[in-house]
Amino acid sequence: MSEIRKTPLHETHVAEGAEMVDFGGWDMPMQYPDGIIAEHLYTRSHCSIFDVSHMGRFIIRGPERLAFLQHVLTSNVAALELNQAQYTIIPTETGGAVDDAYVYLYEDGWYLLVVNAANTKKDWDHLSAVIRDYDCTMTDITDEWSSIALQGPRSKEVLMVLTGGVQPTEPVKNALNTLTLEGHTARIAKTGYTGEPLGYEIYVKSTDAVWLWNRLIGLGAKPAGLGARDTLRLEAGFPLYGDEFGADYEGKEIPIYAVPLAKFAVSFSQQKGDYIGRAALAQQFEAYKKIQNRDFSGMDVLPKKVTPITLTGRGVMRSGMEVYRKGKLIGRVTSGTMVPYYRSEGTGLDTKILEEAGRRAIGLAYLSSDVLVDDKVEVDIRGKRVQAAIPPYHMRVDAPPFARPILYGHEEETVPAEGGPLEQRGITLLQKALDNHTWRQKKCVNLIPSENTPSDAVRLLCSLDPSGRYAEHKKIKSFYDADVFYYQGTKFIDEVEQLLVEQMKEYLGCTEVETRVTSGQMANTAVFSALMDWKNRLDRKHSPKRLGPVMNNHIIRGGHLSAQPMGALHDYIAVDPVTEKSAVVNFPVCADNPYRIDVEETKKLIEQYRPELIIFGKSMVLYREPVAEIRRFVDEQNIPATIMYDMAHVLGLVGPYFQEPFRDGADIVTGSTHKTFFGPQRGVIGVNYREEDLNYGLWETIERRAFPGSVSNHHLGTLLGLLMASYEMNAFKDDYQKAVITNAKSFARSLAKNGLDVIGDPDTGYTETHQVLLSVGYAAGPEAAERLERSNIIVNYQATPDEEGFTASGALRMGVAEMTRFGFGPGDFEKLSELMADCILHGTDVSKDVEALRAEHLEMQYCFKGEAFENELRKVFNTLNR
Amino acid sequence: MADIKFTKTHEWVTKDGEVYAIGISDFAQKSLGDVVFVNLPEAGDEVSKGESFGDVESVKAVSDLMSPVSGTVTEVNEDLNDAPEKLNSDPYGAWIIRVSDVSDTEELMDEAAYKEFCSKEE
Repeated sequence: MSEIRKTPLHETHVAEGAEMVDFGGWDMPMQYPDGIIAEHLYTRSHCSIFDVSHMGRFIIRGPERLAFLQHVLTSNVAALELNQAQYTIIPTETGGAVDDAYVYLYEDGWYLLVVNAANTKKDWDHLSAVIRDYDCTMTDITDEWSSIALQGPRSKEVLMVLTGGVQPTEPVKNALNTLTLEGHTARIAKTGYTGEPLGYEIYVKSTDAVWLWNRLIGLGAKPAGLGARDTLRLEAGFPLYGDEFGADYEGKEIPIYAVPLAKFAVSFSQQKGDYIGRAALAQQFEAYKKIQNRDFSGMDVLPKKVTPITLTGRGVMRSGMEVYRKGKLIGRVTSGTMVPYYRSEGTGLDTKILEEAGRRAIGLAYLSSDVLVDDKVEVDIRGKRVQAAIPPYHMRVDAPPFARPILYGHEEETVPAEGGPLEQRGITLLQKALDNHTWRQKKCVNLIPSENTPSDAVRLLCSLDPSGRYAEHKKIKSFYDADVFYYQGTKFIDEVEQLLVEQMKEYLGCTEVETRVTSGQMANTAVFSALMDWKNRLDRKHSPKRLGPVMNNHIIRGGHLSAQPMGALHDYIAVDPVTEKSAVVNFPVCADNPYRIDVEETKKLIEQYRPELIIFGKSMVLYREPVAEIRRFVDEQNIPATIMYDMAHVLGLVGPYFQEPFRDGADIVTGSTHKTFFGPQRGVIGVNYREEDLNYGLWETIERRAFPGSVSNHHLGTLLGLLMASYEMNAFKDDYQKAVITNAKSFARSLAKNGLDVIGDPDTGYTETHQVLLSVGYAAGPEAAERLERSNIIVNYQATPDEEGFTASGALRMGVAEMTRFGFGPGDFEKLSELMADCILHGTDVSKDVEALRAEHLEMQYCFKGEAFENELRKVFNTLNR
Repeated sequence: MADIKFTKTHEWVTKDGEVYAIGISDFAQKSLGDVVFVNLPEAGDEVSKGESFGDVESVKAVSDLMSPVSGTVTEVNEDLNDAPEKLNSDPYGAWIIRVSDVSDTEELMDEAAYKEFCSKEE
């Protein structure tokens, strides 16, 4: 055995009083004087640093570096984009793991491969035997670079001190970046082995390791050792080579697909060609799919799987202990100990993490593949059978910035069931509904940018007779495209719909409009469905091809849910064979302003990907979209892309004060009729195709995907209301739109003047839309929004492009449309800004002042008020009033 | 702690009248690290000199508790079920069991001899 190795931080660890152990041939800290439990908890509540310099680091360079890695790794390395990392496995020919690893692409020209410390020599030998056949080289840089993992909810703010306020990486897992930390070059990865939603691994020159370590401690991070690293990874459910990968307790090779993470690490992409272990893995994958579908006939290939296990009886599980189900041995524990967690109280978003810690005996086990979540099992703890269960997981990380322990058997409190006769419950419902209506309509300042209050006329029309009716209709070619209705009694609504189409054509400035879709999301779904149908129209004998590449705004940069693969695009977007993900390309944004599309960079991506569909539009929207520039570019380049603008939020702002998408060259516009527009909640689709255009066929397809594709009954009550709203809009849009933009800019300025942090460029008045974004501090959005609600100010919290998800939201998103319609002017928004500053900055309850401000503006503006109109409206009201 | 005695397996013993209290030493708790679980016998159980009467689990490992005496358990420290960390924070205050009817006692070290013994183990 060679001499034990030491990392550049060895002396630092010893000086800090660490208990040192031999780990994979390295003298490493097991724990510091605070102990494993304190280190674990500090990681979960603040942030810890781990010396991971002992891990093996290889650099692969040369012309055939990609082909080499594709052959020796299970993942699709070709899918890596610049500044991305991926989890991977070094497979054996028989489908087991030589090691698990991470591969990083920091710069074109070389890959970094990081492997387990204990396996470094074995991996090096294994890879060296293969690399001879490839025109590339592998260099061991383990000694030249050091690595420090900074993990925990405070890690980002700590690291940002060293970056001078620059975001360390994109706020997504596996993102990379190269930055200078106070003059020291660092390769940063948003990765880690603790499961923390916020955590980084930082590579620096070995001569900088001590500096970085001490600097991070100076900023509040605490050192943690291998002991805490193990309890943290166990709680996160991550496998450890030697326990969950490699040989099992009988000495048999653990198949890669026995480990749940495998599905992220293994690719069968054609680009990988034949690689080491591929055939065995393909066989395992077939067995894995069967097992997931609870068909256990494939268990000869995958007899066991790695699963979380939790002790419900008293004791502690340890690696090697036998697990029994109904008296029968089904496998063994692979990792187990007692792990601490912070207790919490409250439910949902109001969950409060307490300072009091609990502990639970949890583990991972290698058990018969037919074991199911919630199975009751027993663990043999030194001759005593102790009760245990199979939980789905030990921890979740989908509510950043904190990792949340999931306690087995936890039961959420539910709303108590109501009692009493149903009519009494009906009375209670009426009372509560009226209370809510009065509160929102008379006491609240409503600033949700996707909402509005329709006029009395619109609301009354929505409840008139057609509201309970059907009026299915379809154009019939035999009758020269006349609309044929299936039911009688529909002549009135036929006329209404035709008038509405004409009003909307005039408003949008386009040739055709479809108004039957009942939401903006449905409008998008109908368009995507039609685009896919149109794409496949000449070949109906094969399964239709999906759409792609599609260009859109990334959801974390304000992209609308309705234009995302997780939203309306879901069933229509292709999978990119290179990335093996949805074939979506996101608009690049300006380096100095993530709310604005970078037009020149967009053009480069359009040339590279030649998207068939470009979707403008956002739900967090401060600026006009560069429709005209991109239209000109795709025309010049002869790229046959369909340009769509999902106007959702800004449909009511179509015009000279904001943007005229069809004038700018959009082909299709969708939107919802109730955000800045005056309508009840519906959707609309407009296109600018003419009958002589080839794409007129696409328009007809869109109509068919609206009916019968999306709706059978198209909510005739609100259709009637929408016609009135479109009259109002076409009559008042000039004044209304001007007022909205003026109010938004003045609201933003006033908020800033009152000491609040308004997002956007002050030189252009922060915003060009009805929206104003306010930064209230990382992850402070939900609390601020709740506090404002208690003061009768209704906003929504919003994650900015730098934040990891809605629970980490640090912003409030507000819109001025509804209050503008109730007659708010710049002076009112000035007053509102003062109240909001008081509430947000000083915690003052301003509910009474807000109510008083609202009371001055209860009458709706920008709607018809003539005497004759009022008389007719009263008749309608009286009719409804019986 | 004049009358405290130690075993080679790092338990301590004190004697109050005919009742012996048994715990683990500061050296033991330090090398175990964070104690997270103590597996206790029950009152009335017989314990035998040099044999295990339970175990103590830390995050890292499990360790047997060896009885320095033969006798009958009269009392167990139930507090340790909820707060096993007391073995770390107060090793000489946190007794584990009390034993009476002691018939046999192991050869024990006094504090100075135990200190000497520990310095060789490190």
